[in-house]
Amino acid sequence: MTKGKIKIKDDRYPQRLKSIKNPPEELYHKGNFDQDIFNKCLAVVGSRKMTKYGKKICTKLVSEVASRGITIVSGFMYGIDATAHKAAVEAGGRTIAVMPCGIEKIHPSYQVDLYKKIIKKNGLILSEMSGKKSPAKWTYPKRNRIVAGLSQATLVVQAAEESGSLITAGFAKEFKRKIFSVPGPLNSKVSIGTAKLIKDGADIVTSGKDILKFFQPKQSNMTFKQEDGKAAQYENLSEKEKIVVESLQVEALEVDDIAQKIDSPANKTGTILSKMQLKGIIEKEGNKYYLSDF
Amino acid sequence: MFKKVNSAAYSGLKSIGIDVEVNTSKKGLPDFNIVGLTSKAVDESEERVKNAIMNSKTDFPQRRITVNLAPADVPKEGSFYDLPIAIGILASSLQFEVPEKSLFFGELSLDGSLRHTKGALPLALFAQSEGYKNIFLPTESANEAAVIKGINVYPIKDLDQIISFLTGKIKLEPAKYKSKDKKGEDPEFDMSEILGQEQTKRAAEIAAAGGHNLFMIGSPGSGKTMIARSIPGILPGLSNKESLDVTKIYSISGNTAPGSGLIRKRPFRAPHHSISKVGLIGGGSRPKPGEVTLAHRGVLFLDEFNEFPRSALEAMRQPLEDGQLTISRSKERVKYPSEFMLVASSNPCPCGYLNHPEKECDCTPRQTKRYQKKISGPILDRIDLHVEVPSVDVEKLKKERRANDNEKSKEIRKRVIKARERQAERFKKEEIRTNAEMKNRHVKKYCELSEKTEEILSQAAAKFNISARGYFKMIKVAQTIADLDFSEEIKSDHIAEALQYRTKMNN
Repeated sequence: MTKGKIKIKDDRYPQRLKSIKNPPEELYHKGNFDQDIFNKCLAVVGSRKMTKYGKKICTKLVSEVASRGITIVSGFMYGIDATAHKAAVEAGGRTIAVMPCGIEKIHPSYQVDLYKKIIKKNGLILSEMSGKKSPAKWTYPKRNRIVAGLSQATLVVQAAEESGSLITAGFAKEFKRKIFSVPGPLNSKVSIGTAKLIKDGADIVTSGKDILKFFQPKQSNMTFKQEDGKAAQYENLSEKEKIVVESLQVEALEVDDIAQKIDSPANKTGTILSKMQLKGIIEKEGNKYYLSDF
Repeated sequence: MFKKVNSAAYSGLKSIGIDVEVNTSKKGLPDFNIVGLTSKAVDESEERVKNAIMNSKTDFPQRRITVNLAPADVPKEGSFYDLPIAIGILASSLQFEVPEKSLFFGELSLDGSLRHTKGALPLALFAQSEGYKNIFLPTESANEAAVIKGINVYPIKDLDQIISFLTGKIKLEPAKYKSKDKKGEDPEFDMSEILGQEQTKRAAEIAAAGGHNLFMIGSPGSGKTMIARSIPGILPGLSNKESLDVTKIYSISGNTAPGSGLIRKRPFRAPHHSISKVGLIGGGSRPKPGEVTLAHRGVLFLDEFNEFPRSALEAMRQPLEDGQLTISRSKERVKYPSEFMLVASSNPCPCGYLNHPEKECDCTPRQTKRYQKKISGPILDRIDLHVEVPSVDVEKLKKERRANDNEKSKEIRKRVIKARERQAERFKKEEIRTNAEMKNRHVKKYCELSEKTEEILSQAAAKFNISARGYFKMIKVAQTIADLDFSEEIKSDHIAEALQYRTKMNN
């Protein structure tokens, strides 16, 4: 693992970051510091209080984008940040985690596994602070300016009113970068921020394509692997399985709701759901079932 | 003058004979002493006996009285030596013979009457095995002892009555057992009262059928406690032997009501999570049974499972695994049975609203993780069925109330009994009785998997990261599901359903 310090006068200092109003004088880093990683960067930020919906959407969008060579930049906080890093690593992409604390510190410390994985998978850990300095209230917004500053575009997955994610989006706007926002259910606190961004002119994201078009406008081959297999997967379904799929296409459901929809007792419902899980059609998060390909 | 009266003491659930030797002497100043490794309750017997005799129609002899409880090296505890001591004294002062092959037992009141005393049933069992013919004990404890046939159980109201009987002035009839259980009694909580929660109810049915332990995770108000309380109602009734075992434990621990007989209902114990390790497991310098033993043959419900002291939960491993536990103290070592069904419940996170459809959870992932980690892996491993209890939507409940075609506990119990019969048949050559008790060798010997089932199992093991232990647990649960389905072999559907109840906590 390489470790080091890059000064602002250094040629290797990321150009995009240099162009912001008050770029950090020094950047401490861990991991593979090469120029490619800063080529195409998407900041992915969102709430710590991510919902299951946020987690699913974040994972889906990030893996679609990261697998096509776009670096995911985020702040290593738990919730959406960690989900974005994880999805990027798992999709075989690269990711940059910008720390709110000294470069020698892992915060939050229990995400040490993810930290190691990011470095192992050719990613990068960045901070403008040296040593083991602890994070403080004022270091988070400072960190957010680096996240936004490194990236051509910022994707906000879930955000509450007056949240750190909106601060990051605010920096992106200030630096004249693109802002993407994921629509969410309006009765959730963590949709208020994203809805506000859309009102203020952010682009609505409904698929990874929306983001890829921004980064690679000329690319034509935009079908995702999952879409190809979709039709095949839904063949040979039994009547009840079809009802399950159709119901889950509308919204995620708990087991007892599904039992009512397919009009079966709990034991039969359990059997059907387990088999569909094994086939990879549906999956369970918390108490609810979701379709796997969304 | 020397008189000997027989009584009995117990250590753990075993009884031992105690000889109460009373010597009254004219030589020396009047005095009254009890020797023989006595505890406080026995020492105080002096005052009770003295006053009880004085308040009867006879005088307390002005003699030097020495009482020896033999064997002298066994610690004596309890208040039931009052009656044998009083009888010994009166036998010498009133010059009557203590009847042979008789046990005396009971606590005296100062007015000479006898009080309900714990331990009547074990005493009767001891009398039966040692060949005693008569037992004299308090009226209120007599019904409990009268369960045992072949012994004359004499219910005694007060000292005057027994003096009249022993001096031949009156005749007494031995007590006849009066059964107290009402036939066809409906369970206290019926499964049909629980609206929704179909999967959890199904899990409870499987747990009851196979004797599996059950873990329910769900938000406050989702009905976990209601379901736990309904479980005794879907379990098969106690057999005579089981009933005797349970009553014995309750009798020794002083949990039987005056005048009660055999306990016919399965025990349901729900200790609060502030319970100490000794309270849960049993113990003390003179060992006493804990909740795990009081729940023997019944249900032990631990609500807020992660709030229990870790030391108490860890100590539950042996009783959970072996169905009995040994408590060793410097003075004695006792064995208590503990074959119970563990039903545990917990919130998904400290605030309780993780995964709740409406309320927001404000726990950080770290808090949630720490909360869930309070239960150790070895304990979770011993619980076969894990089920997430969804929170209930009030609107939906109203709708269902109208539909109200919920199954009654009685119906579920019929299926459970049939499934248990199949298990009894399967394990007739083994020392186990239920699927939950199967060890890996039993699984290999008795569980028949079709090829398709094997295939699903290995698929699932790969997909859900199931450990070797989890693999066997799954087969055990699937076997119970197959039993409920009257199937000779475990079909793929059974395994698929069993998959629903696997552990989701990553410990």
